[in-house]
Amino acid sequence: MTRLRPTSLRRFGLGLLLASLLSLLADPAAASNAAVGLAGASQDNLAVPRWLYLATGGATVGASALLASFVTDRRFIERVHLWQTGPEAGVSDGVLRALRVAGGVLGLAVLALAVYLGYTGPQIPTVSFAVIVVFAGLRAGYTMLSYLVADTWRALNPWRTVVSAVPNGFVSYPERLGRWPAVAGILALVWVETATAVTTRPSVLATALVAYSVVTLAGAVVVGADAWFDKVDPVSVFLHFYGRVAPVRLDDDGLSVRLPGMRLVTDDDLTDLGDVAVAVVLVWELTFSGFVTTEQGAAAVRWLAGVGLPPLFVYGLLYLGGFGVFLGLYVLAARVTARRIDTFETPLDLAVKFAPSLLAIAAGYHLAHYFGFFVSLSPMLVHALSSPLSSPSNPVVLTLPAWFGGLNVGFVLLGHLLAVWVAHSQAYRTFPSRLQAVRSQFPFVAVMILYTILSLWLISLPTASPPFL
Amino acid sequence: MTTDTDATRDRHTCTACGEAYPTERLLVLHRGARHPDDLDAAEVEAYREAYYEEEDELKSFRIRALGVLVLLYFGFLMLFIVFAS
Repeated sequence: MTRLRPTSLRRFGLGLLLASLLSLLADPAAASNAAVGLAGASQDNLAVPRWLYLATGGATVGASALLASFVTDRRFIERVHLWQTGPEAGVSDGVLRALRVAGGVLGLAVLALAVYLGYTGPQIPTVSFAVIVVFAGLRAGYTMLSYLVADTWRALNPWRTVVSAVPNGFVSYPERLGRWPAVAGILALVWVETATAVTTRPSVLATALVAYSVVTLAGAVVVGADAWFDKVDPVSVFLHFYGRVAPVRLDDDGLSVRLPGMRLVTDDDLTDLGDVAVAVVLVWELTFSGFVTTEQGAAAVRWLAGVGLPPLFVYGLLYLGGFGVFLGLYVLAARVTARRIDTFETPLDLAVKFAPSLLAIAAGYHLAHYFGFFVSLSPMLVHALSSPLSSPSNPVVLTLPAWFGGLNVGFVLLGHLLAVWVAHSQAYRTFPSRLQAVRSQFPFVAVMILYTILSLWLISLPTASPPFL
Repeated sequence: MTTDTDATRDRHTCTACGEAYPTERLLVLHRGARHPDDLDAAEVEAYREAYYEEEDELKSFRIRALGVLVLLYFGFLMLFIVFAS
């Protein structure tokens, strides 16, 4: 590419980027008072009105998008998302095989223990190996590991280990289904988590694990391990999508490290609307479980049930309707972009190209929702994993200092800022004109601002247990 | 994939990668950015011209964006002065 721009302008752009990062550090500090105040028992010490806190969060995302639009040097943008170490050639096949075997054994052992101890262990969630490993481990800590460090699920996945050992793949997977079965599966699993006793009764959780194992093994043997775990299995799709954000990756090319989230720009392996729906469902399920566990959410459900609607119907409507709205808003942004810009890219192409940026948002939300939970339960998790057969008589739960509420605001904003940059890089890869690249992002940024405001609102609300469940 | 309206529009197709663009200018910008080594002298000149023309548009966009940022900054400053205590 021909360099025509003076370097001073590039420095200017870089300076602005740094300034936006600084403002990011400053903004949550101002806004966190609200979250901390609300997390406490009293609401009197609320320093900033809630609408102002929400508007500030939304404006932070909008202003960062504007600041990012000042960075118009293609070479600089490319250097950021292509920067990587390696791939190191140092990882030998023997080490890889040993890691896979160790991961497979570990995964199988943990699954077997979870099922066995779920039935035979104490039926109290706070000392149950099954409940702790599945929710504090897989749902919280392991998912964080997947997007913060590296996606290791392929080696650990116990069902894949079993299926790979037997003949599989008798029917070819119907490609037109895409990843829609995984979307339905993730929605179903989150539903089971919210609406049934899997989080409180270890034996119910063990039954759910057995049922899940039967379905997974049968399905994977029929359509083949690769197709099943890539397209259908909700847990694998969930973890692999989060894993796209991670900086470290070990694959056939070896071990490589990239900047966090930058693989989202270059992976190019999302292809249709089903893949977009997976990215949206990751954002939506966290928003939904955030909503129904707040006092306001509980009050809304109670009110709707009071009108005469059955509670489960209310939850289902909120759950699927909200998902439809989230997906619809995102697709609408893609349509608006395709219409505003002189291009042959269809709305679907654009929706697919910008969908990976949603994963950065989902990672930020996940961290905001689960980081405190994971830290406070981490002593229990360590105990459960180090001595699974002896239940602690007195489980240790860490009490979190009040400023943890402020961290959550930071995580939500950080996820969105990363998403803004991913979308910016993607726009420069897609459009030949820099002005088009800038303008293409506006509808997506508008949707992101809406998501931010909604999510910041949810984490600022006092929590309650959802009614009727 | 193309829509009905696309069929009636001119397609300016890149000879290096087959990507199509609705205007000649976009094709010039695409070739300059993606295939800088394939350009002949006339194309380099066309790219240079399109690039600088776009630079002017970007400059005016930057000024407007800066205006919005200043408004946002002072707007929020005022809001915080009035409402945060």
